[in-house]
Amino acid sequence: MANFNTHFMVAAGASAVVSGTLLSMEVVMPEQAVTAFMLGTLGGLLPDVDSAHSTSIKVGFNVLSLLMTIMLIFIKSSTYSLIEMFIVAGLVFAGIRYALLDVFRKISKHRGMFHSIPVALIWGIAVAILMQYFFALNSLVSWVYGFMITTGYFVHLILDELYSVDLGNRRMKRSSGTAMKFGKFKTTKDKVQTAVIYASIPLLLTVAPDTTLIENALFSQDAWITFKDILLPFDGKWFMH
Amino acid sequence: MKNQVKVVLSVMLMGIFSGCVPAVQPQIRGIGGALGTTVPSQAQTQPLPLPPTEVVDREYGAKPTNYISAIRSYSTNKIPRANLSQFKYGKPKRAYKRKGFAYGGAVAWKGWLVEATVATPTRTGRLLTPKPYMFLFSGGQVVEHILGNTHKLIIKVDK
Repeated sequence: MANFNTHFMVAAGASAVVSGTLLSMEVVMPEQAVTAFMLGTLGGLLPDVDSAHSTSIKVGFNVLSLLMTIMLIFIKSSTYSLIEMFIVAGLVFAGIRYALLDVFRKISKHRGMFHSIPVALIWGIAVAILMQYFFALNSLVSWVYGFMITTGYFVHLILDELYSVDLGNRRMKRSSGTAMKFGKFKTTKDKVQTAVIYASIPLLLTVAPDTTLIENALFSQDAWITFKDILLPFDGKWFMH
Repeated sequence: MKNQVKVVLSVMLMGIFSGCVPAVQPQIRGIGGALGTTVPSQAQTQPLPLPPTEVVDREYGAKPTNYISAIRSYSTNKIPRANLSQFKYGKPKRAYKRKGFAYGGAVAWKGWLVEATVATPTRTGRLLTPKPYMFLFSGGQVVEHILGNTHKLIIKVDK
């Protein structure tokens, strides 16, 4: 399994390529491409959030607690006094960063369902929902951000699987197959957990933003032609524009 | 004398039965109308249609009348290559929009919304599939545009 630095670097590299392509295809604006890059990188760290003492869990909870604190300040800035806001923001930050993290460490199990394909999809859908309902972004940008999280997540899972191959001894490590899986089916508890995760996907999709725009922007014939248009200089003049 | 009375009476009767009654002068439309076309007399027609008047809704404000030019001029700075794009416009609808829940979720805008589709060319000049947009109006001016024809925080009052 790859370490934090490897996951970070590979996820950042992949996110830079994907967000740069989306920018070039004019799917997103430059400032949106920067956010897309950051979310893709964050997505590459998310699967290790269930590892009790990993760097990912600290980074993940730092980001989450800061995000929630900033959100609270946005909501209450017009009604709360500075002192009230300071107290509530401090409580929210400490509550998430320390109390919730402790609870999460106790209930989560590394390489459980967090390292699975359906959870990668759920993260993408959840982020798209969050972006539209909480930040009022349009359907296309919301889904692009969700897509970036899922892409980063997949990069992490693929990287973990690649690291489970011992090239020196030419054998598969014991961790092989635990990173990129469709579900766990050993015990009844595993089966129930897997079923709940799969059932939540269509439920989340019912409240998710409209998918028409992202389908047209990324998965249509038009998108493919646009990609081919931008792949090489359209007039054949290299570096002369 | 009797003959003279007979002649007068017969002329009057002829006049009555021949419909020789003074008629209202026919009206000729002025410049801008169908010049020279005769409009039937008032006795036979309904009142002429009134020019379009401004629809003002108490909650949603005045319905934008020249929304096409407002959208075109707004789009020049907001949509890439808008001057080369092809627009198709819908009719104004009453709608309102909530703020994102991160900002409180209160109603942020209430007014008239015009749906349009915009086919923009790529940088190579190829025309893309038209994209739907929603243009939000306040006081006859576009205040915001949103890509797509649905948004979870926008509620269209008129379907």
